[in-house]
Amino acid sequence: MKRMTGLAIALLLLVSTVSVGAQNVQKPLEITFWSLFTGGDGEFFDAMVKEFNASQNEIVMKTDTVKFDNYYTKLTAALAARTAPDVVVMHQDRLSTFVPSGVLLPLDAYAQRAGIDLSTFEQAPLNNCKIDNKLYAIPLDVHPIIMYCNLDLFAKAGITKLPETLSELFTAAETIQKKTGAEGIAADNTTATYKAYTLTRMFLSMLMEQGVSVFNADNTKANFNNDAGVKAYQALSDMVNKYKVTPKGLDYDSSVADFRLGKAGIHFNGVWVTGLFEQQPGLNFIAVKFPALFGTNAAWAGSHTFAIPAQKSIDEKKVMGAMKFIDWMTNHGYLWAKAGHVPTRKTAVDTKEFKSLPHRADYADAAKYVFPTPPTSKWPQCYDTISDSLEESIALNRDAKTALTRMEQTINEILKK
Amino acid sequence: MKKPFDILGKLFIVFLIVLWLAPLIWLVITSLKSENTVMSDTLSLVFTPTLENYRKAFASTLLGRWMLNSLTVAVVTTILTVLIDSAMAYVLARIPFRGRKALFIFILAGMMIPFEVLIIQLYLEFTTLGLANTLAAVILPRLALPIGVFILTQFFRSIPLVLEEAAFIDGASRFTVFRTIILPLSKSAVFAVAIIAFINAWNDFLWPLVAISSSEKYTITVGIANFQGTHGTEYSLIMAGALLASVPQIIMYLLFRKNIVKSIAMTGIKE
Amino acid sequence: MLLHGADHKKRDILFFSLPYLTVYVAFMVFPVVYGFYLSFFDWNILSTKVFVGLKNYVEAFSDPEFLSSFFHTIQFVVISTPLIIVVGFIMALIAVRPTKTGRISETVFFLPYMLSTSVVGTLWAWIFQKNYGLANQLLKSVGLSPLGWLTDPSIAMTSIIIATLWWTAGFNMILFSAGMKQIPEEIYDAAKIDGAGSFTTLTKITIPLLRDTSLLVLVLQIIASFKVFGQVYVMTGGGPYGTTRVLVQYVYKTGFSYFRLGYASAMSILLFMVILLVSVIQFLRKPDETQ
Repeated sequence: MKRMTGLAIALLLLVSTVSVGAQNVQKPLEITFWSLFTGGDGEFFDAMVKEFNASQNEIVMKTDTVKFDNYYTKLTAALAARTAPDVVVMHQDRLSTFVPSGVLLPLDAYAQRAGIDLSTFEQAPLNNCKIDNKLYAIPLDVHPIIMYCNLDLFAKAGITKLPETLSELFTAAETIQKKTGAEGIAADNTTATYKAYTLTRMFLSMLMEQGVSVFNADNTKANFNNDAGVKAYQALSDMVNKYKVTPKGLDYDSSVADFRLGKAGIHFNGVWVTGLFEQQPGLNFIAVKFPALFGTNAAWAGSHTFAIPAQKSIDEKKVMGAMKFIDWMTNHGYLWAKAGHVPTRKTAVDTKEFKSLPHRADYADAAKYVFPTPPTSKWPQCYDTISDSLEESIALNRDAKTALTRMEQTINEILKK
Repeated sequence: MKKPFDILGKLFIVFLIVLWLAPLIWLVITSLKSENTVMSDTLSLVFTPTLENYRKAFASTLLGRWMLNSLTVAVVTTILTVLIDSAMAYVLARIPFRGRKALFIFILAGMMIPFEVLIIQLYLEFTTLGLANTLAAVILPRLALPIGVFILTQFFRSIPLVLEEAAFIDGASRFTVFRTIILPLSKSAVFAVAIIAFINAWNDFLWPLVAISSSEKYTITVGIANFQGTHGTEYSLIMAGALLASVPQIIMYLLFRKNIVKSIAMTGIKE
Repeated sequence: MLLHGADHKKRDILFFSLPYLTVYVAFMVFPVVYGFYLSFFDWNILSTKVFVGLKNYVEAFSDPEFLSSFFHTIQFVVISTPLIIVVGFIMALIAVRPTKTGRISETVFFLPYMLSTSVVGTLWAWIFQKNYGLANQLLKSVGLSPLGWLTDPSIAMTSIIIATLWWTAGFNMILFSAGMKQIPEEIYDAAKIDGAGSFTTLTKITIPLLRDTSLLVLVLQIIASFKVFGQVYVMTGGGPYGTTRVLVQYVYKTGFSYFRLGYASAMSILLFMVILLVSVIQFLRKPDETQ
């Protein structure tokens, strides 16, 4: 009897010590997030999250990838119901859809508390995340439209300088077509799996290179039916209709495939295809920022940002955990650059890891020239409409004035609603 | 005089059969070609077949997972639809009460509601119920199949009353009668409804597209469309994926062809 | 009347019909009513609903994108319907024979129907691919120039219709076959004795006696065509520059991309009313179906 009691007491002590010990070991804080990255982007991002989780014990990030097409539907519904995860990836151009209804937290104070030095960010993309002077998101990257050139085809055509002005661009393209038989410029101009967004991105860039913004200051009217718009539209139309350096009816997937298979000399697209081209054996190319076709540099860019949804009750621990995650991710932007994107944090660009990546350093300066898309919730519809309109006008070879007037009418109708 | 017409007719039929099979044959051929041989602008039926695309399809996507999801959704939908619809049909066929005819019309009116018109409201409904992004959300709206109720009601009505009367005299409950007499005698109608429900559930595209947001919960139809979107010009891979996605239905078709055809025909035949 | 007490009648009615009616009302009737309600508001999920009366309906009729989408849907319905019905009928004539050819035909013609929208769309997008697709390869092999099947606005809709024809004609074939099998053999025998040729038999006997089946096929075909979405979405994305965008796609985009739920609901209701109109015609013509 006594022995049993003794044993029992010993066991009890053992168990209680163990359980107290177990309580002392902190369970890592679980932070949930949604990311919209799929395919190659998705793989790189997931790898980074894994590395973050492995690098420390306090926070573990849990993710859930959503098909890109539906991401904003789910996100919007979740934000409205206040059931969104702790941190979300969001395109910069969507911020103006969400911020006015107060579903995202302003981050200035949290960034300060988390010790994130905002001056280490490239200011242009960071400022694009501010609405009414408050910071609502932190940019992870900018992915501008850039120019890819097939160096072998350039050499074969006897071109030694990369085109910088509009006339140089067309001359180079024509020469490539004549001397090598390859396509001059692979730029998509028809809808297939995707709309002809490249046309819109080039149009916006060319407008901004002339100092003109696509909408007026308060986003109530279109601002492109003018000299600058005419020059921009004409350039695009000439590319297809006058100089015929871009085939008609070329869709996005085909334009990427053409450049990848060495069938095109020049390709305009976002930085995200760099990874794809790198893996193509035998493709000898260079990637540089979008040329200053009208004198100054400007490039359309999307930007992936991190934002923190408003919850029913703010859990400070989770918000600070999310800020820590954001800090780490942006500082390790050179890992994200593997997907082709340009890191927004100067501290990430200034690393030997980033500099050792092929091509990325060549266009990293594109981040300086990015401009925001009009901060209006009607932008998604306008973006689609401009793409359709440009596609149609170029396909039907309309003159600039007619094309722009039509587009202006349609856009103004939408902005009015 | 008849002969040349006959031969012409036969040739026409053969031509049509080949024409109809051609796309599927092309699908299989493409899936067996390696990627670089696919991107040629000349027709080439001579090539070295490879299973690389199938391996890649499974490896680079959640294809297996998607098929499992579709299978789960289709099977659960089918079973529940048959149960719920036949129970409803039993009321309409065998339990007279005031307003039964109105109820029947009310239910049949459902046939006119196109699902596409409901997706937004359904989405909001399921988000409120906290069931967004679940397979349950994909299954539930499909269970009330008006055409199913219609087929079963008509069929139940055609069963002679004597069998049930005998059972009732012996004190059986309606549930027992339903389970032991009505259902066993309605095998062909039940099977017809099951097949329609299964095919509808498996091929459903728009609603799963809207309802599901996690890639591992996709049904195969959404997965394949997504697959096409993320693999741009890798046509042989896409075709391999499309074929894999269709294997269950093709097998089902070859096994149950006669029954499937009969079920479709039942939607049109008057009693 | 069945001989059993009315004792459990109420309970049984509830027990048997509740599951169905719950699902039906919750997931079919309620959404229609809710959609109707939403159509009178402006709502983007994030903020509160704003009552706007009939504004959404008025906007639809002056919205060029709605009108063009509706037009494209109508275009699809009007062109594809007679085509798919006639082809289905011809297939039925072939498949209804008890010969081996008949059985093979039936199997082959119906097989595509078993495939899902996205598989059909993906396959035909590949066949019609401009540079490497089968269609242009065939054209080039006989010396003709390639076509922009999905990139030329004058052909794109036709391409979609061809894919749809391949996919669904078999369904009509089944309905027509079933109808044909119901025609008594004696009528054909009598006609043969009278010396009627195959063409006369077809036009004077078969077709007239298939009137009811034809009506059913017509109505089902029209209703299905109004709902067209999947194959357009996958094959052209509504392009080139929106020339094949159909109404369901525009509703989907307005609701899920542009977050204008009130407006999207209004357009859905308009589509619903059109389909309702067509369906009512069917039910008016066949009153005995509802007994």
